[in-house]
Amino acid sequence: MSKVLEVKDLRVSFDTYAGEVQAVRGVSFELEEGEVLAVVGESGCGKSVSAQTIMKLNPMPPARIKGGEITLNGKDIVSATEKEMREIRGKDVSMIFQDPMTCLNPTMQIGKQLVEAIKNHQKLSKEEAVKEAIRLLDLVRIPNPEQRIKQYPHEFSGGMRQRVMIAMALSCAPKLLIADEPTTALDVTIQAQIMELLKEIKEKTNTAIILITHDLGVVASMADRVAVMYAGKVVETGSVKDIFYNSSHPYTKALLKSLPTTDMERTTRLVSIPGTPPDLLNPPVGCGFASRCDNCMKICHEEQPEEFEVDKEHTASCWLLHPDCPSSQVGGDK
Amino acid sequence: MANNQDAKKLVEIKNVSKYFRVTDGTLKAVDGIDIDIYKGETLGLVGESGCGKSTFGKTLIGIYPPTKGKIIYHTAEGKPMEIKKKTLFSYSKMAQIIFQDPYSSLDPRMTVADIIEEGMIIHKMYDKQRRKERVYELLELVGLNKEHANRFAHEFSGGQRQRIGIARALAIEPEFIVCDEPISALDVSIQSQIINLLHDLQIKLGLTYLFIAHDLNIVKYISDRIAVMYLGNIVELASSKDLYDNTLHPYSQALLSAVPIPDPDKEAQKDRQILSGDVPSPINTPKGCPFAGRCPYVMDICRQEKPALEMKQGHLVACHKVEK
Repeated sequence: MSKVLEVKDLRVSFDTYAGEVQAVRGVSFELEEGEVLAVVGESGCGKSVSAQTIMKLNPMPPARIKGGEITLNGKDIVSATEKEMREIRGKDVSMIFQDPMTCLNPTMQIGKQLVEAIKNHQKLSKEEAVKEAIRLLDLVRIPNPEQRIKQYPHEFSGGMRQRVMIAMALSCAPKLLIADEPTTALDVTIQAQIMELLKEIKEKTNTAIILITHDLGVVASMADRVAVMYAGKVVETGSVKDIFYNSSHPYTKALLKSLPTTDMERTTRLVSIPGTPPDLLNPPVGCGFASRCDNCMKICHEEQPEEFEVDKEHTASCWLLHPDCPSSQVGGDK
Repeated sequence: MANNQDAKKLVEIKNVSKYFRVTDGTLKAVDGIDIDIYKGETLGLVGESGCGKSTFGKTLIGIYPPTKGKIIYHTAEGKPMEIKKKTLFSYSKMAQIIFQDPYSSLDPRMTVADIIEEGMIIHKMYDKQRRKERVYELLELVGLNKEHANRFAHEFSGGQRQRIGIARALAIEPEFIVCDEPISALDVSIQSQIINLLHDLQIKLGLTYLFIAHDLNIVKYISDRIAVMYLGNIVELASSKDLYDNTLHPYSQALLSAVPIPDPDKEAQKDRQILSGDVPSPINTPKGCPFAGRCPYVMDICRQEKPALEMKQGHLVACHKVEK
């Protein structure tokens, strides 16, 4: 398998009137062909900003890439010009957004919007492009695509619009698909349909997918690997089983425990994480989670934890995992 | 609570409907709901967006007057009281609501103390000094503190704002609270804080909740009984254990199987039943069962006759296919 994407120590800041908001503070991950990486975390933890930076979609300024490398299909993204980015977007990487209601142009027919995307990157005649558009709508399971391409977005339901968005994202067979909370705005029964569709498309086209979500149920059903983000950093990364059954970072553990399971009695209290995430305008010197962590030590407030290897391809950034930490055994399951 | 035959009825909902007139006809947001809510219980209400669950919640506390039907509230003195224009003011002292969006449900120009105090002033409760003390007590009760009283809503995070919303609802000492998706706008780690808080308050103050949500895992955890709603109708009503162990209505079955479980092994084994199509429009609904258009087991009778909510196999369900 070949590597599609490599992000190394990415740092992104926003210059605001209040000061510099350090939204992403050193994020690294990589992705192979046909792999699904789930990025989970609370709102404001930097998961969407990291993903948007891969496509350079956040306006610069106020956004600014402070450091790090992004390599997509062997192309350097950080130094790419806007003209080069226009080539890369759609062809190498494309994105599905959270809100299918606002991402389509309400004054254009669905077919026209699809044809526009197709003709931008492929040398096809109009008839061929329309044929391709129909094929794509059929691929995402929209009934009667021949009639549907002449309709406007308001004639589609939320789930159907998300299918159109997926069709558009797939129009140039990108190597990487970024799905930014693709099902958050949809109902559970429709969410199940869209997830099934994404799985099917991954099987068919071998596209790598970055799935950004805060729903751990969605992660469990789709992802191969998971990166847990907190306060602008990846705090733990590993295979989906590593994360769910053998999590090592206190934040990941608390997050998993805070979910009620279906066989839970009402008398058992949910584990809750006290406090709120830190303000990234003045990020803490030490570990971002220190103020909310049960196992917090002195060093946690003073120095940022390094990344420790828990297992093969399973790392976590927590001082409890340091070999010199006396309670590192206890830290395993507390 | 649900199995307790002696449980006292708190709210009787008798064939309540709420229609809205729109340009294309009539929108039947709530279409003939007939259930009781018992004192001290948590009744969960689940369904997809647009099924009328929020409208039902708002009708129940008197924000919307029902188009048809009656809501009868049994007061602490044991007197039944029908909710209408005349009784609405005294009813609002007993029933309160917590809204979904903690960002738009608090007045940005009022201090937290003003927001919490307002209800007490309207209902002429206590003197000025005591009200001030009450505000502090309420803030502590919901896990905030005195210093927060003179701040404005924008200075708080989502979870803290929801706590303010809860304090406001509790200020006039209600017995019945409609929680309209109180946690869906919050992050996972904050959700459990609010759920625990609501649970503690229920035990402490003996509250009755109608808990509206679309997150089925949370609803199962917090509720004694769960009602499943589809297109303005209750299609199934059972104790939360019963609903999960012995799901009868095809819609409830599909809804439960669609929820992703945060456990990769269980997810891999799960046989997911995927519903085709979308929720139909509630405007000018066809006769017959509201779910007939998407039901995998649809029969002729389903398109002709609307099934009633009847006791079948130990709990209430509205389906022609389920046998008694």
